[in-house]
Amino acid sequence: MKHIPYALLAVCAVLFPYCVQRIFLDTPIEAEMGTAQKIFYFHVPLAWICMLFAVVCGVAAGIQLRRRSDRAEAVAIAAGEMTVLAGVGVLITGPIWGDATWGTPWTGDARQVSTALLWLVFVAYLLVRKYGPQGSERLAAALAIFGAIDVPIIYYAVKIWKTTHPQTGVVGSLPQTMWNTLFVCLGAMLSLSIALVWIRAAQARTAMALDEAWVAQDQPAGLQGQLS
Amino acid sequence: MNELELEQPEGQRDAETPEVGTKKVEGRDPKTVRLKRAYEAEVENKVASDYSHIVWAYGIIWALFAIYGVLLWRRASAQKADLAALQAKLSKSTPKP
Repeated sequence: MKHIPYALLAVCAVLFPYCVQRIFLDTPIEAEMGTAQKIFYFHVPLAWICMLFAVVCGVAAGIQLRRRSDRAEAVAIAAGEMTVLAGVGVLITGPIWGDATWGTPWTGDARQVSTALLWLVFVAYLLVRKYGPQGSERLAAALAIFGAIDVPIIYYAVKIWKTTHPQTGVVGSLPQTMWNTLFVCLGAMLSLSIALVWIRAAQARTAMALDEAWVAQDQPAGLQGQLS
Repeated sequence: MNELELEQPEGQRDAETPEVGTKKVEGRDPKTVRLKRAYEAEVENKVASDYSHIVWAYGIIWALFAIYGVLLWRRASAQKADLAALQAKLSKSTPKP
């Protein structure tokens, strides 16, 4: 189990150069958007990863709230950080792509705004987790659950409102070569993000154990039990 | 002189008249060549701009993940040091049998 994140990082190290080769040498240039469309192969997987870990964080925060589980808390913190990290990636690469194809980086459409809202909610979650007073875990968990509820809104935004983003079915309508390249990139990004979340969750659990051990160190009666 | 020739502007009539020592190339008149060059320049600018956007987008994604990786590595180092400090303190305070 300890070696799984490092195995995932190794998979990612092999896949990344292959992704770049596929994107620039094996996949045709899209007819309407031109070369700028190649941003899509990392922008879309990042958006999916952002939404996936937002849901993971919301579920883990809910479990932590109900069962007071250290493991769920560690997963929630790690997934929350990954949501913010992937969210930054999406919110930067999206406007860069928009600038190249729509002529403007920000159109303020429903998908952009709901993604920005998701990112802000998880930034708030991390800030409350880190700097909130004792007992603020409940507020943090509520924020994470609210953020997870925003995920279906992001997904259906293009169906409910008129947006500059394409419809959700556009990925399914891609030619086979573009589809294959997208999924190789998704594999690379997913293995990287799972590895980082795994490592971060392990660190969060270690930090909790160390805190408890330092506290117990002042109480000789409980010392052995805490450190064992 | 027919009606069509009368309507042609002065410059264009000169362009169509081959200069001494040159031969008119059919289908590659200067107007078409200029139009093609303009298209090529436009495409070149678009591709250069697209590559610039791609480099920025990919660079930012990879930089973000690299920075996060470094932060995780630094946090792991700090935890190792914390654990070593705790063990050192414990070994001092625990009486040897």
